[in-house]
Order: sequence, then structure tokens, then C-alpha cells
Amino acid sequence: MTLLPPTLAEPGRFSETERWIFIALAAASLTLFWLRFGPILANILQSKKDADFHLRPIGRRVWDFVWEVMLQAKVIRQRPLAGVAHAFVFWAFCAFAMVTLNHCATIFGSGFLNPRSTAGRFYDYFAAAFAVGCALGIAGLFVRRFLVRPKWLGALSWESGLIALLIFVLMVTYLGAFFMPNSGAGMRALWWAHTLTLLYLLPVIPETKHLHLVLSPFTVFLSRGGFSRIPPLAGDEDFGLVAGKDLTQLVSLQAYSCVECGRCTEHCPANHTGKTLNPKQVILGVRAYLNDCGPESAEPLLGKYNSQEAAFQCTTCGACEFQCPVGIEHLPIIVGLRRGAVNTGAWEDEHGGKLFLALERGSNALGLSAAERDKFVEKNALPIFDGTQEYCLWLGCMGGYDPKGREIVLALVQVMRRLGVSFGVLRKEKCTGDPVRRLGNDLLFQQLAEANLETLKRGQVKKIVSICPHCVRTIQEDWKEFGAAPRIEHHSEFLARHLGQLTPVQSQKKIVFHDPCYLGRYRGVYDEPRAVVSHAGRLVEAPRSGERSFCCGAGGGLAFLGEEKGERVSHARARELAATGAEIVGAACPFCNTMFRDALAAQGRGAPELLDIAQLAAQGLPAKSAI
Amino acid sequence: MKIVVAIKQVPERDAPVRIAANGKWIEETDLQYAMNEPDAYALEEALQLKEKYGGEVVVVSAGPERVGTVIREALAKGADRGFHIVGDDVAGRDALGVARLLATAVRAESPDLVLTGLQSEDVGMGQTGVIVAALLGLPHATLILQVEKSQAGVKVKRELEEGWFQSIELPTPAVLTIQSGGTKLRYATLMGIKRAKTKEVRTVKAADLGVDAAPVVALEEMKLPKKQKSTQILPGSAKEAAAALVEKLKFEVRVL
Amino acid sequence: MSILAVLEERDGRVSRISWEALAAAQFLGAALSQPVAAVVMGGQTESLAAEVAAKHSGRVIRLEHALLEPYTPDGFTLALEPLIKSESPTHVLFPHSYQVRDFAPALATRLGEVLISDVIAMADGPIFTRQLMQGRLTGAYRHTGSGPCLLSVQAGAFRAEPVGAVAAHGASISTFPPTLEAAQIRTRPGEPFRGSEQTVDLGSAQRIVSVGRGIKEAENLPMVEELAKALGAELAASRPICDNGWLPMERQVGSSGQTVSPQLYLAVGISGAIQHLVGMKGSQCIVAINKDPEAPIFEVADYGIVGDLFEVVPALTEVVKASRR
Repeated sequence: MTLLPPTLAEPGRFSETERWIFIALAAASLTLFWLRFGPILANILQSKKDADFHLRPIGRRVWDFVWEVMLQAKVIRQRPLAGVAHAFVFWAFCAFAMVTLNHCATIFGSGFLNPRSTAGRFYDYFAAAFAVGCALGIAGLFVRRFLVRPKWLGALSWESGLIALLIFVLMVTYLGAFFMPNSGAGMRALWWAHTLTLLYLLPVIPETKHLHLVLSPFTVFLSRGGFSRIPPLAGDEDFGLVAGKDLTQLVSLQAYSCVECGRCTEHCPANHTGKTLNPKQVILGVRAYLNDCGPESAEPLLGKYNSQEAAFQCTTCGACEFQCPVGIEHLPIIVGLRRGAVNTGAWEDEHGGKLFLALERGSNALGLSAAERDKFVEKNALPIFDGTQEYCLWLGCMGGYDPKGREIVLALVQVMRRLGVSFGVLRKEKCTGDPVRRLGNDLLFQQLAEANLETLKRGQVKKIVSICPHCVRTIQEDWKEFGAAPRIEHHSEFLARHLGQLTPVQSQKKIVFHDPCYLGRYRGVYDEPRAVVSHAGRLVEAPRSGERSFCCGAGGGLAFLGEEKGERVSHARARELAATGAEIVGAACPFCNTMFRDALAAQGRGAPELLDIAQLAAQGLPAKSAI
Repeated sequence: MKIVVAIKQVPERDAPVRIAANGKWIEETDLQYAMNEPDAYALEEALQLKEKYGGEVVVVSAGPERVGTVIREALAKGADRGFHIVGDDVAGRDALGVARLLATAVRAESPDLVLTGLQSEDVGMGQTGVIVAALLGLPHATLILQVEKSQAGVKVKRELEEGWFQSIELPTPAVLTIQSGGTKLRYATLMGIKRAKTKEVRTVKAADLGVDAAPVVALEEMKLPKKQKSTQILPGSAKEAAAALVEKLKFEVRVL
Repeated sequence: MSILAVLEERDGRVSRISWEALAAAQFLGAALSQPVAAVVMGGQTESLAAEVAAKHSGRVIRLEHALLEPYTPDGFTLALEPLIKSESPTHVLFPHSYQVRDFAPALATRLGEVLISDVIAMADGPIFTRQLMQGRLTGAYRHTGSGPCLLSVQAGAFRAEPVGAVAAHGASISTFPPTLEAAQIRTRPGEPFRGSEQTVDLGSAQRIVSVGRGIKEAENLPMVEELAKALGAELAASRPICDNGWLPMERQVGSSGQTVSPQLYLAVGISGAIQHLVGMKGSQCIVAINKDPEAPIFEVADYGIVGDLFEVVPALTEVVKASRR
């Protein structure tokens, strides 16, 4: 069999009638596409402007676009097999842009990819290679969706099957031409089959999740950037996402971009442990709202379209946002819904109310007297920061009040003293506002941030180190709205930098490290704590680790809310950590620590010991009295 | 139902307190203030009554300029108007002197109900509400956990000692002092704070009210209490320690 | 010139805190060389007066009227005002009870005075000490008014034992008939009732015995239950115990369970995780039994026993039972 040059570009073989039929069909297809896509575009454009949106830094946007869209890196990285299949489909679509234009031009005798020219021939074969990849890819994805049926994809939809079929037909009708004689009814039939498929596919796109074809390149390019970037409220009437009028263009764009792949749900700790929250449904809820009510509606966002209960089950671990291949930023949306509920007083929760009142009236999220912190500082002779020391050691609520957190602080203090690094603690410190920030209480958050910034400014603090990734994140990123905070680092970064000066612990104990969400995904710190762990024993990894680490259940203010529905997130994670056979669980966050304390104990006898990396680092030091 | 809530601004519970140089009050520089918590419960009760029966909630507070922040806070939580009796010497008055100031404001508003917290977190005399009632010749009830409208006026649930309660009916206008914990406090919201900006706060100078300020009881000196709380570890065998503990619980703590 | 002590009745007898108030009055009387008259009031005061006369060497005044039963602030204020005016005492002492807090400030107002409430100590001057700033400071008060000085004394601040320690002699009982009319009493009090009979109401429990992981096995719970029973306390637990299903969730104290503030909180085998501490830090007296002397619970405890709970708890149960016999 000889491969003949493709003849789709062969001009002059179409009758006038055929041309008119094509024109009519194309017009109908485009019109139908526009009738469906127009309202969506209008909903996006009529949404509120994003007050804090800046196109700069453009370099970052271009890079994200190339990496995530063109190279499909996120898609492939998170689900390699399906990702590669998808990438082939995507790349084929790109390659086909030219083919399709040429295809349509052919009927008017103005095809520009001349199969007799080298360039034209090259392009035809080039596209053919992608077509083969695409056909195989789409067939694979079809098998996965309809036969393997991973539950994250949700219920089977005939649309997905139809689209897969249409794409498959497009590829086959293109490739088929290579095996056809140049003239004849077969070729003509192929041309028409290809064309009709194309014209049929076009109006289907805006009606289905395949809208992401059109939107997601923009979504990725225009994303807010950063991780879990919660936008500042704009003006006196902005209380977060209360109703349609509060949806911004980015939120609407993202809602319409969802491809329903379910990666977000697959990695959601709440969803995994029997809670109502399903991040995919949150996004689809916003989309349904936009379709039904539009972006100017006063109908509440929480109610018919999204559940308040679900919104407050989020641990803000960020696995969803991290995984999303189409650039949806779930956290600003989920936190935005919470802001809408809390800033207007619509959220009523016994424990949440108690937390807010504790912080309205006191200094810490635990509702304890500040005198307890003073006592701890005094008892352990922690120096008070006076501007002469290098570091301000930020205790945080857990480090200042929680018995376990205090042990972590004291271990770090032991190491710092050993290293001869000067430090001091503040006389007065308030909660950074992390839990209220994530729960959406902007009033309290602002009060706490401003009070702390004032204290730091007055104390002339230049460098901060903290044992709590939540404090680190909140001080560094979230306070920006209210002023510039001094440089802050997590103690894992400090310890890793100074490891050379510490004697390694001669231990072969297996230590499994649990990446805290707020250190890993939020701050991108993965290697430093591992270096500390390796210094103290043999590092082993949990099945879900690094950027795919599974939450402990404490984030998003949930450590302070009441009992969870379903299984406790901490128990699910503790089971996974214990199953590694490690003797020690290495933690790097006092919240993880407090969650795992009970959860590991519930694993029964032989459960691994729980130690913070500061405690691991301090293990090699002589006893306290020797310092 | 028109309700006046008398609220007091007190040093934040966590605030480190130091005794002022004259030994007669605490050092006020750098001190942070908050709404007296029992008054916050009184406000909450008033807001709930308003939500249930309609009407108006007016908050009254006496004190220096800084007291304006608790009035704003009350407005943010849902009170309709504020009444600030401005005076720098209010902390120096005794309970009767303060109550006389508040009584003039209540008289000016002529409400159906006056609510206030059972006691203040700083001085803790626990009398202001009752004195206001006596000054205005109104009936009163103290340690109230619930309030509802009744034919004669209001029906209230009063806490008695050792887990007992009692219902009391009293005609309105009346004064009630509210016990903490009878209801859940609402948290302050951003929306509330923004809305409060446009609400009216009336200010009157305490000196212009022409009420007697001469105290009949005087705080002569403030001191640190003799013993600070510390843990006593009871030594000995299990039997000895147990016996020692029961002795302490019986005679020192007096809970047995 | 005299000192009055206004006593309160409970279940037909003089209440314990009233004896303390009388003791305080006698102490003050001795310091100021003034006689102390005890006042009993109510609908029926005969037996109360006799009870006081048996222990108090001095006058006992019966303030009796049908309208003083049941208690109303109007009734008590209107009954006491003429008595005080006619006696013109230098000081009037009350027990700092809920009832006194209800009417005494109004009585003081009618006299142009202010009650010095919740007094914990007295010194020469006389100077009266009371707590300020939630007990973080104390304040010394002096009466500067021209009328009688009204005081209420804190429960437990003065020992009641001196009253009646010496056999009473020369007590004289008199009556002072108040003029009261039904129309003067504006409030209508109902019968006292108990709080809703919930199965478990840790929030309002006065004594709680709480058990933690140190108990090891569910089979060991009855030992702690027995202690709770002996103390008349509610049984509570830290989260792991409820997680294991050894006790129902509604008995969990802590951040995800109940917040409690009893007079006595006895923590057995609880190390004191923060989730637990935030739920019970408001307790008035905290006792911890734990074998680990470094357990954080000892940081917040008033009394601690470092030892094996399997020895301490049964021993404690025995002593408590014996002391209550």
C-alpha cells in the first residue's frame, strides 16, 4: 500500500450547490455557537472588575501559559497517563487549526496548504502524526471514562462520549484521506464527513465542559498568581462573595472554565472523609448560579447553588487549587464565600462564634489569658526582643499556649542557643489572624494584622523566625494588605541552613515526614525539613507527600471548630503515616502536631512517636542543663 | 419595645494591669479596653428582643472619649442609637455617682426596658442596674437569663443559687441586670461596622447633667493580692495525698 | 450606735454564709466596741430567731410580715429601710448572696449610700478589702458617707465557727413590724425550679471528675465513676476516651466538646492537651492526678497528686466517703 499525498487541499472539485450548502451550514454552526457562547461571555464580562488585577508581571503569565497550556505540564504531572493522552489531543487541536482553515478554504478553491509543495506536504504529515496521537489519546480517554470510570470524573455523561466520538471522527476523516485516491466519491464523502463533524462540534463546545477549550488558556494566563491569593475587599459595599454582584470577572471566567476532571475532589481531604464539600461542585455551583441568575443578581450564592456547610468544611489545604489544570483558584472562591457569610453575620456556628469572640476580646485563638504566655516566657527565661537581637522568635498561639507547641519552641530555643544565634520574643503578641482570615472574618483579621504590624514596627524587628507555617504564611503574604512585615522564615528553613553546625544524630530510625500544607503548597518549602529529618534519622516518604501531601485537618480555622462530620481527616492521615512503618512521624507545624497527637494514639500500640523537626534537630544536643 | 442598654468600657481582660502611681487606680496609659462582657450579654438580649418584638435599642455609656469605641461596637452589632455621657472623672465616682449619670440618660429616653450587665469586670460592684432602678423608682430584677413579653410587662428567668431558677413577672418600664451565658453573643462583622458609621451618637457632658458626684465610698488603695495562684503538689503515699486533698477541698476551697 | 447583721434563711434555717456575715459583724463590733444586732426576716421568723439566739449574745430583731414571703426586692427594701433608719447603725452587714445582690443596692440608694459589696477582709479604719479586676488586684475601701455603711461579705471570707463558740448569753429577741402593702410589691416571683433535666449537663455541673487516657482500659472506668459518685460529681472525659466510645460524646470536655466551669474539676489521668485545657480552664479549683510530674495539666492545677491513679483514685474515694459520713 502506498501512502498518497493527502488530497483534502485539492481545489476546484466542489459544485456551486455544495459551496452554498457549506456556507449555510457554517453560518448556522457559527450562529448557534455564538448564541450559546455569547451569554457566557456576557456573564463573564458583566461581572465585577477584579479591583486588584494587574497584568504585570507579564513574564510570569507567559511562563505559566507556556508551561501549563502549551506544554500541558500540570495536566501530565498530576495524572501522567491520562495527562499524556490529553496532551496529544490538545497538541493535535493546535496543529489542526491550520488544517481546518485550509480545509474550509478548499471548498472555495483557495486552499493554501499545497500538498505538492514541500511545506504543505510536511505540514500534512506533521498534522497526521498529531492526528494519530489524538485519535489514540481520545480513544484511551474514552476507555478510561466509560470503562475504567474513576469516580472523580463524576456521573457518566453522553456528552463526553459524543465529544470523544466527534474528535475521533475528525481525526479518522483526516487520516482516511491519506488512503484514498485523489478523486472520487470516497474522498468527497470524507471531506463532508470531516466538515459536518466540525460544524456539529463547534456549537456543542459552549454547552459542555469542552468550553474549557476556549476559555482555559485565558484562565491560566489571567490567573491571580501566587497561591491562595485572597483579594482585598474593594470599597464599603464589598463583604466577599455574597451574591452574583460580588462575582468578579476572574471568578466567573474560572467557573466557566471548569473541565470537571475532578482532580480537586480527588485530592480534597474533606471530600475523602465523608464531608459534604466537593470543590468541583463549588465551582459548578457558581457556574450554575451565573447561568440561572447572572452576575448582577442579589440571590445569595450560598443556599440553592452552594452549601454553607460545605464551604465551612474546607481545611484550605489547597490541594484543589494546586491540582487544577485549567487555572481555577478555588481558595479565593471558597474563602470568598466564607467572607460573604461571616462579614454579613450570616454564618452562625457555636465554635466559630467562640473563636471570633475570643479574638475580639483577647490575644489568642485559644481564648486563654495572655498571662499564661507571660508565665511560659518567664519560666523558661526566654529573652525579650529589644532590637539588639538578630531574630524575633514569633511564638504564635500554639507556641505560646499549647503545651506541645511550647515543647517545639523550647527545642528550637535550645538549638538557637547552641548555635549562638541571638533572639528574643515579643512581650506582647496577638494571633496573626490566620484562622479568622481563612474563615472569612475580615474585620478581625484587619484588627489583628494592624495591631501586630504596629508591635513589630515599634520593636524594630528585622527578621522573624516561627515554628508555625500558618503564622509564616499569614505574616508574609496576607498582612501585605495592611503594611510591610519584616522578613520571616519557618524554622525548617533556619534549621536547614545551620545543619552543618549541628552534630548529626547517630540514629537509623525511620522517620516519615508529613508536609504541612502551609509549608509545602503555600510556601514551596519541601527540601529543608527533609534535610533536618535526614540529619536525625532515615527519611521515608508517605504515599502522599511533597506537593501532594494530605492535610492533617486543622487548617482553615477548622482546628477551632467543632467535631467533624464523617471520619476525622487527622485519623485518615495518621493511618497513612503509621502504615509506612516509620518509628517517628516528623512534623513541622504545631497544628499538624496537635491533630496527630490524638490521631496517632488512636492507631493503637506501636504507633509512631510524634516529633517536630525542631525536636529532631535538638536530639543531638547535650542535655538542657549543659547549655 | 424600646430598650436602653447601659454598657461599660473596661480594661481588656488580658491587659496587664499595673497600679497607678497614686495607688488609687490602675495605670491607664497603653491600656486596651473592651466592652464589659456582662454588658455584651445585656446588649445581645436587647438585640434579640428587638428582633422578636420590634422596637429600638439605644446604648448608653458614661466615660471619657475612648468610651465612644464601645458605643460604636454596640451600634455595629445592631443597636440603633448611642448616648455618650462624656466625663473624665467617671472612674472616680462611686456606683451611685455613675448610676445617677446613667439615670438621667434613661429618663431622657423613657424606654420600656433598661438592660445592663450583672456586674463590671473591673470594679465588679454589681450594683449599677439596681441603683438606676431605685433612682428612677422602677421595678427591677437581677441575674436574668431570659426575657419575654407578658401581659403585665415582662416575664424573666432569674438564676438562683445552686442550679435553681425562678420566673418573675414585672411591669414595664423595668430594669433588668443580665447574667452572662444565658444566650450566645454575636460576633462583630465588617458589615455591622460599616453600617454603624451612619448611626447617631448623642454626646452630653457629665458636668452639664447637674448630678451629685461626691462619693460615699472611696477606693483608698489598690494592691496586688497576697497569694498568686500556684500549683500545690500534695506529697506522700496515695493514702496520705488523698487525705491531704480532701482536707484542702473541705477547708481551703470549701467545695466539699 | 450599733452594727446590724441581716441574716438570710435557707430551707427554714439560717444559711451558712449568713453565719459568716454574723461572724464578720461580731469581729467588726469587737474592733469598734459596738453591740451587734442580728436581723432575721421573712414571713415566719420565730424559729430563725431562736436559732440565732442560741448562738448570738446580743439582740435579735425579727422583721416579720406576710408580704416578705416569698422574697421580693421591693418587700425587703421597704421592710429594712425604716428599721435601719430607726436603729441608725454605723454598719449593716449582709452575706453576699444572690438575694442580697438583688435588693441591698436599692436599699443603699434609698439611704443615699452605696453597698460595699463582696468584702473579703476588714482592717482598722475600718478599711474593707474587696477584689478588683477579676481578682488580679484588691482594693481597700473606706466609707465616707454620713449614713450607715452597708457591706456584704464574700462566702468563705470569714469563718462562721466563732459564732456560738462561746455559749450565748443575754440574747434578747424583739420584733420590728414593717408596714407593707401588697401594692408596693411590683414584681411577681414564681416558684423556684430546677434547670431542665437533661441527661448530662456538664455546663452547669458544680463538680466534675474527668478522666483521660491514663485510665488505659474501659474496664477501669467504674473506679473513677465511684469517685465521681462519692463526690456528687458529673463524670466527664477528654477526647480520646469519647473517641474510643468508652463514654458518650456528650461527656467530652474540650474544644470540640463542652466548655465547663465547675467549682471543682478533678482531672484523672489527663495530661492536659490544649484542646482539653481550653474547655476547663474556667474551673474554680482544678485538681490533677497524673503519674507524669511534667504533664501540662499540673501547670493549670491548683492541687496536684503525682502518682499512680490506680492507687490514688480508690484511696481518694475512701477518704471522700469517710468525710461525708
